[in-house]
Amino acid sequence: MSPLIGRAVPRVDGHAKVTGGARYAADTHVPGVTYGTLATSTIARGTITTIDTTLAQAVPGVIAVFTHLTMPRLVTPPSPYPKGFVPLQDATIHHNGQPVAYVVAQTLEQAQEAAALIDVRYHAEPAKVAIDDAPGEEFLPPPGPEGPQEFVHGDPAAGLANAHKKVDATYSSPVHHHNPIETSATVAVWDGDQLTLHESTQSISLTQQIVAQALSVPQNTIRVLTPFLGGGFGSKAPVWPHTLLTAAVARQLRKPVKLVLTRAQMYTSSGHRAEFRQQVTVGAAKDGTLTAIVNISNQQLSRTEQRVFNTSESSWMVYGCPNIHAKQLGVRLDLPTPHFMRSPEGPALVGLEMALDELSYELGMDPVALRLKNYTDLNPENGQKIGNQNLPECLKLAGDAFGWSRRNPTPRSMRDGNELIGWGMATEAHSYHARASSAWVQIDTDGHALARCGTQDIGTGTYTVMTQVTAEALGMPMNSVRFELGDTNFPAAGFSAASVTVSSVSGSVDKAARAARDAVIALAVADPHSPLHGAAPDRIVTEHGFLFLTDDRTRRDSYQGVVSRHGKPVEATGSFLNVPGYTTGASFIEVRVDPWLGRVRVTRAVAAYDIGRVMNHRTARSQVLGGMIWGVGYALTEHTMIDRHTARIVNPNLSGYLVPVNADAPKIEAFFVDKPDPTSPVGAKGFGEAPITGVPAAISNAIYHATGRRIRDLPITQDKLL
Amino acid sequence: MKNFEYARANNPADAVRLVGDRPGATFIAGGTDLLNLMKDGAQTHDRIVDVNGLALTDISHGNGFLRVGALARMADVGAHRAVREKFPVVSQALLASASPQVRNMASIGGNLLQRTRCGYFRDTGSACNKRIPGSGCPAIDGENRGHAVLGVSDHCIAAHPSDLAVSLIAVDAVVLTNGPHGERRIPFGDFHLAPGDTPERENVLTHGELIVGLELPLTPAAAKSQYLKLRDRATFEFAVVSVAAALDLRGRTVNDVRLAFGGIATKPWRSTDAEAVLRGRALDTATIDAAGRAAVHGAIPRAHNAFKIDLVQRALSRVLHELGGVR
Ligand SMILES: Cc1cc2nc3c(=O)[nH]c(=O)nc-3n(C[C@H](O)[C@H](O)[C@H](O)COP(=O)(O)OP(=O)(O)OC[C@H]3O[C@@H](n4cnc5c(N)ncnc54)[C@H](O)[C@@H]3O)c2cc1C
Repeated sequence: MSPLIGRAVPRVDGHAKVTGGARYAADTHVPGVTYGTLATSTIARGTITTIDTTLAQAVPGVIAVFTHLTMPRLVTPPSPYPKGFVPLQDATIHHNGQPVAYVVAQTLEQAQEAAALIDVRYHAEPAKVAIDDAPGEEFLPPPGPEGPQEFVHGDPAAGLANAHKKVDATYSSPVHHHNPIETSATVAVWDGDQLTLHESTQSISLTQQIVAQALSVPQNTIRVLTPFLGGGFGSKAPVWPHTLLTAAVARQLRKPVKLVLTRAQMYTSSGHRAEFRQQVTVGAAKDGTLTAIVNISNQQLSRTEQRVFNTSESSWMVYGCPNIHAKQLGVRLDLPTPHFMRSPEGPALVGLEMALDELSYELGMDPVALRLKNYTDLNPENGQKIGNQNLPECLKLAGDAFGWSRRNPTPRSMRDGNELIGWGMATEAHSYHARASSAWVQIDTDGHALARCGTQDIGTGTYTVMTQVTAEALGMPMNSVRFELGDTNFPAAGFSAASVTVSSVSGSVDKAARAARDAVIALAVADPHSPLHGAAPDRIVTEHGFLFLTDDRTRRDSYQGVVSRHGKPVEATGSFLNVPGYTTGASFIEVRVDPWLGRVRVTRAVAAYDIGRVMNHRTARSQVLGGMIWGVGYALTEHTMIDRHTARIVNPNLSGYLVPVNADAPKIEAFFVDKPDPTSPVGAKGFGEAPITGVPAAISNAIYHATGRRIRDLPITQDKLL
Repeated sequence: MKNFEYARANNPADAVRLVGDRPGATFIAGGTDLLNLMKDGAQTHDRIVDVNGLALTDISHGNGFLRVGALARMADVGAHRAVREKFPVVSQALLASASPQVRNMASIGGNLLQRTRCGYFRDTGSACNKRIPGSGCPAIDGENRGHAVLGVSDHCIAAHPSDLAVSLIAVDAVVLTNGPHGERRIPFGDFHLAPGDTPERENVLTHGELIVGLELPLTPAAAKSQYLKLRDRATFEFAVVSVAAALDLRGRTVNDVRLAFGGIATKPWRSTDAEAVLRGRALDTATIDAAGRAAVHGAIPRAHNAFKIDLVQRALSRVLHELGGVR
């Protein structure tokens, strides 16, 4: 039987999703539920002087209006709560769109009408909105969970001085927002001192922890449920104030409360990718060997938080270079706290990959050859292997499929009618974290298996892949296995972020399933009624729901037979801590540019990745499609526009914030090296965020090849190409 | 959103009365714009009068014109054979608008009355002279990449969003209405208003006046017409700049021409100055360039939208070269 792992099986939850059977947080029906709405600030910085709720209170159906004067007091949770403060606790305004009142009513419309009638007066102070508003105010933030904000290796100044060719350029990208289709929702239901939260979160366990801290209640009094998530991309990985406020309000009112953020509120309530500017200086010897990489970056921080999320890790991880200097500065602005967004290593890598393209032209060297020349598998910090061993194979797989060897490097050398054609490439790279996880597997007397883990499926296919892992470990068909997740009553797992879910959860699920399998085998060999009675357990294999003796396959039993004779279900648990790692690949892009009109179309994208053993070729490919298409948006259209005077977001909707539409999506081909990672029981590496990291640079490089114009400020809109 | 009353009109007179009676009432057709505005709080109404039951969906031939009912859907009009053949610019403008789903819902009458996409207008947390007269225009010194450079005033620089309207002004369409004061025929060029110092007034309709249809005169120029829409993504976006051109050539000489522009002006923008440059002349690159310069004469650029002045001339040049077979 060919292994289940790797097979391109369709999503096990696909039918439920397309028929409306999948219940998301906002779909939760709770008897007697009341509706919450946030009123938000219209200034970015200052204090509330008066807040009049008289008209709001008078709207029929309104149950309560909480302001900073009346809101129950909450504790500001420590990191990883990313906000640094809880709104509605005092009169200070830290950013535009900050909650200033929480209205609860019998219907959503009543709550909204009341929220619009709240009269807030402010003492406003001038706000700083963009990096350009705060020249000289950048500083080196203290070390974060990922380490210090400055990294020096070797002698960068000497490396640059000795370079045969150098590139020194500044690259910038604007604020981006995640825009998951599902806006964040919370339904808080108290039963005595027990709280159930139906939540759209990428981390049920973190939600449980942070809400407990904010409300000063024991963590085990809170149950968080997230059976389905309509996308997160990082926006739902941390716990944000709206969840804390909803839980607190529901406790105060002794009524269930449902809050669904509006699309516009998503732009101020759940983080964003910070505006980012980086000066990249790279030098190389005549043969292309890098002599120095210097990346001095600056990014927006908020008044209340100074964690740096656009990390420059790629500057020292992707290529071998004896002299490296990376410095991650930040500047406090009057904007909401930025956070991670698929993929936090992207912005810095985009600069590096554009600089290397420029360097390839300086050197007269093929861009792929330049990358191969400087390829490494060693972390310069500790000299250890990082898992980048297959980058050369990725470059070859994707480059060959793309036809890269036929490229004439001269800009403007390919034309078709009104359009110039360009080819560009970039390395893709992203690290994945380590997270502990546990799982529980039960085999019932009917021969069916149930697996549970407190992880999440954020749309990436966890249900499907973990069903495959369980079924394969047990030796059962997929349809005998049911996998459940998204409940804090299940064994705990980490967040579904930092590309960690598959590489961490697959380990514990596999272990739990193997333990359950072994327990059933032990029962079989001890059972006088079993054809396998007395056999050595290690001579037994399980396939398709049956147990066979390897030497004599006529001696067989079934899960159902063994467990039903046992008379009660067999269960087992497994725990696992994955080894963090690095996932790399390469993307190759073709663009067509109408230079007269500045119009760019991305027409072809080919990428290859080393993601360890591919768990499911269909869901893995989906991840590449999403990354490639988002990369098109990153390079060409996406840009959160913020008014420089008021710090209000001007395009907080999908009509003004331009994500790519189907017509923008190129033809996409994805390849995988598909070799098991030795540190994982099932061979998996973390993959989620790797595809996209290099795409914007590859597109920009292709535009240069097409037009001879190097645009270093994203997005590359048509006005920049006229 | 504030609670409101819903009424269904059975005939035009009914509709006019149901809206005319109540200052806070308005018509609803496809609802693709009205409902967004109401949900965002940019517009409030205490009654909405559903006109979808009215028999105003026909597209029919008259004597020298095509008549299009106000409730015909964008998708149906865009795909209609007579529209495609006699008014390609109108069909192209419609099919370059919105998405198939929106076009299936949205009506022709509603399209002409859709409101600007200016982010400040649609955000109740911002000042806006169009929404709250006298509150100010943050776009003038703000995020104005999408805003107008022509027809602007100190009170408002919001761009008119409709593609269809740009194409209609290029074919000399007439708007047919039925209101509390009877029936009217409004030449398209008189229908929309530049903001001046009353940016809240966007057209000449009176309260309760219902658009019942359009008349499109059949002309040689309209039959040889084209719409070019440029935007930041491939589709499902409003115009950054657009050009509607209708051209009647006799040999190489321009016998008649209509030029209209979208994305760059506060109302559907016809440039008779640019037309005058071309009329009676041989169509060549030099005259085309001169027409482009005339079209943007008097344009007022702001911090982020100056590129439109260049881009729209390039777009016009592309269209006229293609339409006129000039190379
Ligand atoms: C996401 C999105 C993208 C879009 N992109 C584009 C685009 O690229 N180009 C473009 O041109 N448009 C675009 N549109 C706008 C769309 O074309 C309009 O929303 C639509 O045409 C409005 O028609 P409707 O029937 O839905 O009007 P409604 O929303 O029902 O009404 C709009 C207004 O017209 C009034 N009204 C409706 N019918 C009549 C009538 N017969 N007489 C008098 N008043 C009437 C209503 O009272 C209301 O004030 C887009 C819309 C959306 C939502």
